[in-house]
Amino acid sequence: MPFLSHGSHRVRYELDGPTDAPAYVLVNGLTQYSELWAAYRDALIGKGLRVATFDLLGQGASDKPELFISQDDQVEALRLLIGELGDGPIFLSGISFGALIALRYAILHGDRLSGLVPMSAFAELSPQLQLLGNALRTGLILGGTSYLQDLLLPMNLSDTWLKPLLGNLDAVKRQGWLVNDVYALQNLMESFLDFQPLTSQLSSIKTPTMILNGEFDFLTPRALHETLRVHIPDSALVIIPNAYHAFTLEKAALTADLLARFAEDVLAGRWRGNQAVWIAPEDAGGDMMPFPDGFDHLRAIPVPRAAS
Amino acid sequence: MSQFLGPLDSSGRVPPLQQTRVASFLISIHGALARQLAVALPGQFTAGWQTELNAQLHREMEVVSLLMRATSWAPDPAAPYHALTWETAWLSQPVSGIADQRLATTVDIAALGHAAHGVIRPAAILPVEASSDDPFVTALRRIEFESSRLIQAQIHFLKSDHLKPFRDSVSAAVGDRHRQVRKLWEDVLAGIGITPRANGS
Repeated sequence: MPFLSHGSHRVRYELDGPTDAPAYVLVNGLTQYSELWAAYRDALIGKGLRVATFDLLGQGASDKPELFISQDDQVEALRLLIGELGDGPIFLSGISFGALIALRYAILHGDRLSGLVPMSAFAELSPQLQLLGNALRTGLILGGTSYLQDLLLPMNLSDTWLKPLLGNLDAVKRQGWLVNDVYALQNLMESFLDFQPLTSQLSSIKTPTMILNGEFDFLTPRALHETLRVHIPDSALVIIPNAYHAFTLEKAALTADLLARFAEDVLAGRWRGNQAVWIAPEDAGGDMMPFPDGFDHLRAIPVPRAAS
Repeated sequence: MSQFLGPLDSSGRVPPLQQTRVASFLISIHGALARQLAVALPGQFTAGWQTELNAQLHREMEVVSLLMRATSWAPDPAAPYHALTWETAWLSQPVSGIADQRLATTVDIAALGHAAHGVIRPAAILPVEASSDDPFVTALRRIEFESSRLIQAQIHFLKSDHLKPFRDSVSAAVGDRHRQVRKLWEDVLAGIGITPRANGS
């Protein structure tokens, strides 16, 4: 199990796939751990890509700073990891909290990236997200990791995914409960106490950017992704149909396929973000569809887009 | 070596020597915290703090009395050596960089509490099949559950603006206590055939 050193802290990471191939770096969400990307490793390596995964500080097998974890430290850990990957093309993707860290990296070191894929992302805390975050933190404090998982599972995954697992949810939760410590998760959540919106800095991201947003994402709804689409010049927003916040878990094959296609398009010089809005296929390999012209992609009902 | 207690007996109970070793360690550290809080309590006249310290003191005592009742005790020839090692470890440690001795002692107590409630995950060493009819099993689950609430007092104090001028000293003190408690806890687990879970710390 290799580790990077960041000051006195150690960051556990894993590199898989051919060393001379373009690399995807995948950044965990708040309660995740790097093994959850296993399906992505297989799929992306199968497409000729290299894959780097790691546990953020405070997660899994990385060090868990006792009192404070700053988001700057997470970005620095990510920079160290990317430094391990040589000079080839780097595609960076992260989910939720990991998307925020990826955005921060792209703002500071965007010239090192060939492509960026924020998933279930946000650049600012809307009142809803801030209050939900506060409530989740209180849930963690009062009920521990297990209760936090109880809140996140129905919020972030579909009925289709949950229904067959209803009788076995404890098993689903167990590994996440085992590897996450309450104080460390709390430190990760409290890294938002001095959070400043990134919105004004998003326009500095010149990297090709594919923004992925679940159709039914309740935690970070479309409006939060729209901020990214509007401010990142070479971006496109892709809506994942029938997906919630944690679609990387629920729709791994589709998401990995979208990641691979994005890298392929960028490397072939075909990518044109154009701040367009697309609808992803239901399954891996299907066709992308432009969002119907004239309709407002921020609404859940077919409302004509207001003239700008 | 396994990551979990066991092998369990036919009714899903944890072997008595494993119970004894784990319970002895937990009683030692939570008992030490209770004693330190009992000494610290009369000196705290701030109403809010006194309320929290009083609650902490009684919850630490609850952990001790719960384990005394819930454990299936077995003779442990290593008990005197372990008790001496552990009790010595919990003694007050100096905190460099804080000249006010009373404040430094309070920081050390809080650091030990943060480590006790944060590092030790007694429920995480229970295998899935451990029986809820075993009082020791339910005691470990309860202790871990309560720890996530008990640690809030330490977090609140150690991260407070009051200690901002001493942040490096406080972080170092908490880090030292974490390493110490983690080492002793992992030694306990290794002594009963358990490998610690993967952790970079």
